[in-house]
Amino acid sequence: MSDQLQHITGAKFHDHETKGLYEPAAPPALGATAERSSKHNIAEAAKIPCFQQWREAAHRIKRYAISNLDKLLVQFERNLAAKGVTVLWAENAAEANRLVLQIAREHNVRSVVKSKSMLSEELELNQVLCEAGIRPVETDLGEYIVQLAGQRPVHIVTPAIHMSAEDVGRLFASRLGEPFTAEHQQLTDIARRHLRQEYLQADMGISGCNFGIADTGTIVIIENEGNAGLSTATPPVHLVMMGIEKILPSIDYLPVFLNLLARSGTGQKLTTYTHLIHGPAPGRKLYVLLLDNGRTNVLADPPALAALFCIRCGACLNACPVYRRTGGWAYGWVYPGPIGAILTPHLVGLDQAGILPFASSLCGACGEVCPVKIDIPHQLVHMRHRAVSEASPARSPLEWLTWTLWSWFMCGPRRYRFAMWAVRLGIRLAAWLPWHPGKLGAWTRGRELPRPPKTTFRRLWKSIDGEQQGE
Amino acid sequence: MASNRASNSREAILQRIRNALAKPRPPGNLLLERPAAPEVWPRNDPPAEDLAKRFQDELAAVHGQTIRCRTPEDAARQLHDLATAGGWPILAAIDAPLARQVCNCLPAETIAWVTDDWSKQQIAAVPAGVLVADLLLADTGSCVIRCPTAAARLMCYLPPACVVLARLEQLREHLPAAWGEIATACADPNARGEWVIVTGPSRTADIEKILILGVHGPKRLVVLLIG
Repeated sequence: MSDQLQHITGAKFHDHETKGLYEPAAPPALGATAERSSKHNIAEAAKIPCFQQWREAAHRIKRYAISNLDKLLVQFERNLAAKGVTVLWAENAAEANRLVLQIAREHNVRSVVKSKSMLSEELELNQVLCEAGIRPVETDLGEYIVQLAGQRPVHIVTPAIHMSAEDVGRLFASRLGEPFTAEHQQLTDIARRHLRQEYLQADMGISGCNFGIADTGTIVIIENEGNAGLSTATPPVHLVMMGIEKILPSIDYLPVFLNLLARSGTGQKLTTYTHLIHGPAPGRKLYVLLLDNGRTNVLADPPALAALFCIRCGACLNACPVYRRTGGWAYGWVYPGPIGAILTPHLVGLDQAGILPFASSLCGACGEVCPVKIDIPHQLVHMRHRAVSEASPARSPLEWLTWTLWSWFMCGPRRYRFAMWAVRLGIRLAAWLPWHPGKLGAWTRGRELPRPPKTTFRRLWKSIDGEQQGE
Repeated sequence: MASNRASNSREAILQRIRNALAKPRPPGNLLLERPAAPEVWPRNDPPAEDLAKRFQDELAAVHGQTIRCRTPEDAARQLHDLATAGGWPILAAIDAPLARQVCNCLPAETIAWVTDDWSKQQIAAVPAGVLVADLLLADTGSCVIRCPTAAARLMCYLPPACVVLARLEQLREHLPAAWGEIATACADPNARGEWVIVTGPSRTADIEKILILGVHGPKRLVVLLIG
């Protein structure tokens, strides 16, 4: 991990970001919006009789793609090269950044327009470009807003979902010198006006990639705003950043994924723009950068394999009660929500992110909405097991001691009786205390302590047994 | 040196993948047999008129507009009316047979034919662009447009209004019904540029999930459906 520029910069999940989880307050705006989106998308999917068959099919196709990843990547590279595309490979973030800067220098790039790419967030590419004197401009409206605010996206699909129109109005006033407005149309017009100039001046466009089609060498990008179209078509150089798991074996498989991604991501039948890019237009230059950056760690962990099927629709985030309460920053890195809690420990290491798989109630909502049927709840349990078995922050000596003692008390009838007596006594004493320390205090701020029953099960059993013998 | 490193990285990544795939795995963890492509939507082959009605409704649902035209001359009249109402003194058009048929009926000074040497600034300055669709998808109200050149690509995104010309026989029921033609075109090793499927005008809901049209691309999309 030493050669990677991957920093967990957000708060640790156990710290103050989760404080709200214990508060009996109303859910924040982010949670309400995510819940509304989730319900809407589920309702739309329910109208389609074959939706479950689509999910099954997409799951099988992705499993086949990942099972043949090495062959498909080579085929993809060959077909891209035949269409005049330069293909580059990077093992990690540092190498990817070096290659991006190399391309930028080769083409004398001074400014870059970027359409949404979670992968570039992994690389902390904006910071790297700035340090090299190149001005990166995010063009997805949500990404543009969080970039101006100096923040990170809170959601994969809607990065600025946490900000109100007033917040955006104040931000545009302070950073762009525009008169304050909280009117959505005016805010959007301001962004359009400023970004138009950026597209026309930019020397290079950088985009992500939703799917890379091996048998045709096609780059598939889907979007609603038109910023990906402008970022990839306006500058003379276009760089596509693609995680190696985004491969699809054949273009014949694409319709099912286009249907699933649009419906699960934004509840649309199809997104406004579906770009099928096959080779640079005459006079233009097109690069594709294939990046591993920890993805082969997922591949090497058989129970976690399906995490590589993710198509980044954000459905599991919207469905997750924990995400709705905490938002994306609490997960500390690029990928929030349930899928982030699986991917992040693989990509940055369990030693840094081993706590994330515990950021779930295991209610199963994420698994039910996943369009490619990733069994997220079981994957979370698997990652929890790894987190307590290997070096990670989840492997706490105190927790180990607690469970060892618990096990010891549970394994002998006398010890068990003593433990139950102590627990009953402890609860009664705690009820009298004016405040509770530590995590007990966090728990009881929003809940009442359970009252121990007047008689125990053992006594009750004994008395029934005695009565029966008396008869 | 850089290319050596890139080549080493390629080999290193492929080797890591192979090593990972060679690890012992539970049955079913890998799928080596190629699955069949799903049908996605059944094909009903409805009459062209039904398709046209569905296309019109679906495009309206995503805030686009369809105008039915009997002939290319009729389409030219509609285009003229649109230009007058929209205050578009000039229309920039992609050179294609259908566009020639329609636009040649209009005064020559109101049409500018976009060539490959047009700059992005020139294209950004036009009030409306005229494009020709290769296919239309009734089920989603989508236009499938082939853009082999940079100028053709920019014409889809830079002008604030976009008028798409298409014939009734280019209508397909849904994406899977059109996919054979799109896939064949993508598989052509000589293909360059992009095929774009456009479903309505540019839109965003990034601020408080309120839908706003025309955030970056065209604010208005009109399809002149001829036939």
